[in-house]
Amino acid sequence: MINTINKINKTMNPRILLALFIIPLGLIIAAVPQDTTHPYKLNASQLLTEATSSSQFLSTDAIADMIIQNDPNLQLIDVRTPDEFLKFSLPGAINVPLPDLLSPEFSDILNQDVKMNIFYSNGTLHANEAWMITTQLGYSNNYVLQGGLNYWAETIMNPTQPSSTSPDEEIAKYDFRKGASMALGGGKTESLDNGTPDIKVPVKPIIKKATKKKVQGGC
Amino acid sequence: MGPLITYELISQDTNFLLAFIIGIGFGFVLESSGFSSSRKLAGIFYGYDAVVLKVFFTAAITAMLGLLFFSLFDWIDLDLVYVNPTYLYSAIGGGVIMGAGFIMGGYCPGTSFCGASIGKIDAFVFIFGLFIGVLLFSEGYPLWEKFFNAQFLGYPKISTVLGLSDGIFAFGVILVALGMFWVADWAEKKFPQPEY
Repeated sequence: MINTINKINKTMNPRILLALFIIPLGLIIAAVPQDTTHPYKLNASQLLTEATSSSQFLSTDAIADMIIQNDPNLQLIDVRTPDEFLKFSLPGAINVPLPDLLSPEFSDILNQDVKMNIFYSNGTLHANEAWMITTQLGYSNNYVLQGGLNYWAETIMNPTQPSSTSPDEEIAKYDFRKGASMALGGGKTESLDNGTPDIKVPVKPIIKKATKKKVQGGC
Repeated sequence: MGPLITYELISQDTNFLLAFIIGIGFGFVLESSGFSSSRKLAGIFYGYDAVVLKVFFTAAITAMLGLLFFSLFDWIDLDLVYVNPTYLYSAIGGGVIMGAGFIMGGYCPGTSFCGASIGKIDAFVFIFGLFIGVLLFSEGYPLWEKFFNAQFLGYPKISTVLGLSDGIFAFGVILVALGMFWVADWAEKKFPQPEY
């Protein structure tokens, strides 16, 4: 009798023990959602390096040039409120209000490695916040419009005319901005060489509306 | 935190030292599980001995669970862990050649060195054959270069291909492994052979 119990112990135990130990572990690992414990791809010091290098900023001139050239890589993301977006937005911009940045409807737009996500807000603060979060999540190609829309209005929409004694580059820059302003339907500028008709490029702002409601917790 | 080498937490020399110690441990486990006998490995194909299956599947599920839990605790970044590239045709071809070698020789490369270290003559013969194979492959490389590099599939994981999370797939592997252990035990009783 004892012999048979011993025999059973000998043949059964290792496997049952292994099963008792390893099946619960397997269940735990199957139940834990993947990648929730470390959703951030960059750690704090890496992000600090990125942020302090200021390489995320793109100048208003560069962006204006890309818009006029119809650069297919350009994806302007307006992080202001929908109201502000409707009042004024850059051509082709997509409205992703900052509070909705993480909503799943926008993740396909933001998390891709084909286009450049160029965030802008009125200043640079909100755009920078969006840049910081998306960069930390490991999204690629995130940039910020330097100076925001305020600086855009100042430099592209209403460029100040340089004095006639300014260096050539200044005048060339002004000419470019003036042209861009006209092409993008900006404010009035005094044309140095009058006669150019005011070309207005018809642009339709894209409003990407969040279709689904955010998941409000639950099970 | 990990992988230790990728994050340069340990030097290349320390890495070799650790590999050396782990290698000794691996060899010790192989030898003490009886892998230095070619009959052990051949036994899996005839059904009388399933130690190979048990040892390697136990190792696989232990390592798999270990890595997943390490990743869960943020001790290792699985994105930085090397995954074998998949060249479909060479994987199939290599698998067939390797399997045929297993059945004929009764060794795999690791166990043949294990057998050689305790002086088994058939292990030495196997290693000799292994080097002939290496020589033929490298000298004749231009002949099978095309086949070797064909059907490159990238670095796929079965879980991603099946659209499952790593955890659920791991749980499936555990169940399959335990099921196989049970079948193996049954087969060992069905086709008994004296132990050598």
